[in-house]
Amino acid sequence: MNIAVMVKVLPDDQDIVVTADRKLDASKAKPVVSTYDLNAIEAAALLAADTGAATTAIVAGPASVDDSKTKKNILSRGIDALAMAADDALADMDARQTAQALAAMVNQADGIDLVICGDGSADLYAQQVDVQLAEALGWPSLNGVTAITAGDGTVTVERVLENERETVTLPLPAVLSVSPDIAVPRIAGMKDILAAGKKPVTMYAAGDLGELAPAAVEVIDVSAPEPAARKKELFDAAQDGELDAFVAALKGAL
Amino acid sequence: MKALVFAESEPAARELSAGARTLADEVTLVTFDDPVAGVADRVVTVTVPEGHPKEDALETFYQVYQDVQPDIVLVEPTRRLKTIAGRIAAREGASVITDAMALADGVATSMYFGGVGVRTAKAATPVTFVTVAPGTFADAEPSGTDAAEAVAFVEPAVPLTLVAREDLPPAEVDLTAAERVVAAGRGFAAEEQLGLARDFCQKIGAELGCTRPLTESETWFPREAYIGVSGLILNPEVYVGIGVSGQMQHMVGVDRAKVSFAINKDKNAPIFQQVDYGLAGDIADVLPKINAEL
Repeated sequence: MNIAVMVKVLPDDQDIVVTADRKLDASKAKPVVSTYDLNAIEAAALLAADTGAATTAIVAGPASVDDSKTKKNILSRGIDALAMAADDALADMDARQTAQALAAMVNQADGIDLVICGDGSADLYAQQVDVQLAEALGWPSLNGVTAITAGDGTVTVERVLENERETVTLPLPAVLSVSPDIAVPRIAGMKDILAAGKKPVTMYAAGDLGELAPAAVEVIDVSAPEPAARKKELFDAAQDGELDAFVAALKGAL
Repeated sequence: MKALVFAESEPAARELSAGARTLADEVTLVTFDDPVAGVADRVVTVTVPEGHPKEDALETFYQVYQDVQPDIVLVEPTRRLKTIAGRIAAREGASVITDAMALADGVATSMYFGGVGVRTAKAATPVTFVTVAPGTFADAEPSGTDAAEAVAFVEPAVPLTLVAREDLPPAEVDLTAAERVVAAGRGFAAEEQLGLARDFCQKIGAELGCTRPLTESETWFPREAYIGVSGLILNPEVYVGIGVSGQMQHMVGVDRAKVSFAINKDKNAPIFQQVDYGLAGDIADVLPKINAEL
């Protein structure tokens, strides 16, 4: 079996700065793997270890995703190979465009049986790339997956929905989006990180992925939210009567 | 203008149909199994045969979509419907805008980086697909007929096999519906101390949730009780944060509270800059006193 895990590389939200006009500045932010994609990588690595499958991580994004530390990070987590399209023509893609770019790379990787996606990306959390990708590939898909067992030309998954738990069998090839609960990301050791530098990386340019569809979603604005106007009255329990005043304010709101 | 609503639960069917009514003159609701009366002009029910997961209703939903030819599709943000709507959008060259907190003139407002930013966006395609967070159309009144029709299930090209299914035990609390919400944070030193917070909740008629560390590093709360980025985003009348430091990742979930309170032993805790009334004091000392006064 060949497993491909889809990974988004994006700015570390800890480094995003709010500018004076309440815009977000990510220009100083270092690239990181989107948090829940780490769980997807771990799920892929564990399933591969269990079944002897080969694993490829696939990344598409602007030129900034081509970061040696990030590449090593991905490859130090039990993943065999990396396919990466790093091209500014692939900046700010919506879910549909991302899925198209990824589908082209899945098809070029040849012989992929199972695609694993994370629960949602750290920036948009739209939970749409997995389904758009499945549709682009013409494969079935399921989300909310908490466990995967490989069968003969199938996978059987457990999944948790809002109010239900299910066990479902999908014929391969298929796309799965995994819940963060599926696996705790490993902490790579020095040996893993050194070995990661020797693993195969295939780089793509936007032109290798076919023509990208026009954006399906137009972004109008991204700003830091206006903080709610609050009274900010602070009482000190150590001062006489202030706890009572706090309780009085609380009672007033009930 | 024609609107199509995809909903699984009755409250969402009502709210989204009511919201659709404010945007469109023709509202069609598609739901599973049982129709919801009086909320749409036309209610279409889909019954998925035994042995299939409900996602296999994709082709059936798509047939209704093609029949209605909507200008806008409003979707309840469940895992199943994110799949069904997402795949229909893909077929139409569109992309679903998810978890909108507001929707006006086709412009959807949603969170960016879990609340670090707020993003406004609209569909660049003729049809808009949007999943809508609960409460977005809370003030809209649904209206409609009792016209309901059951459509025949259309077998998908690659059917899936449902091996087993069970209902999850009902969540002990529904924080999204609570008018008063208390969040417990890391300031709670031991699980036993949560009894003080529970007493407090009982006194003021509130539900108890928590910040992320209490669901992850501690197992004091189920994941569903986590308030904040990629957890619950709430809209309560009253919020009280106890032992909560005030990190953005949590505050995003309660920023829309009408009135907010905080109790923290550190008078410099950032949360005091983000609430109406703060009390600087140790939980073990002040909570019993407050509970006695309520």
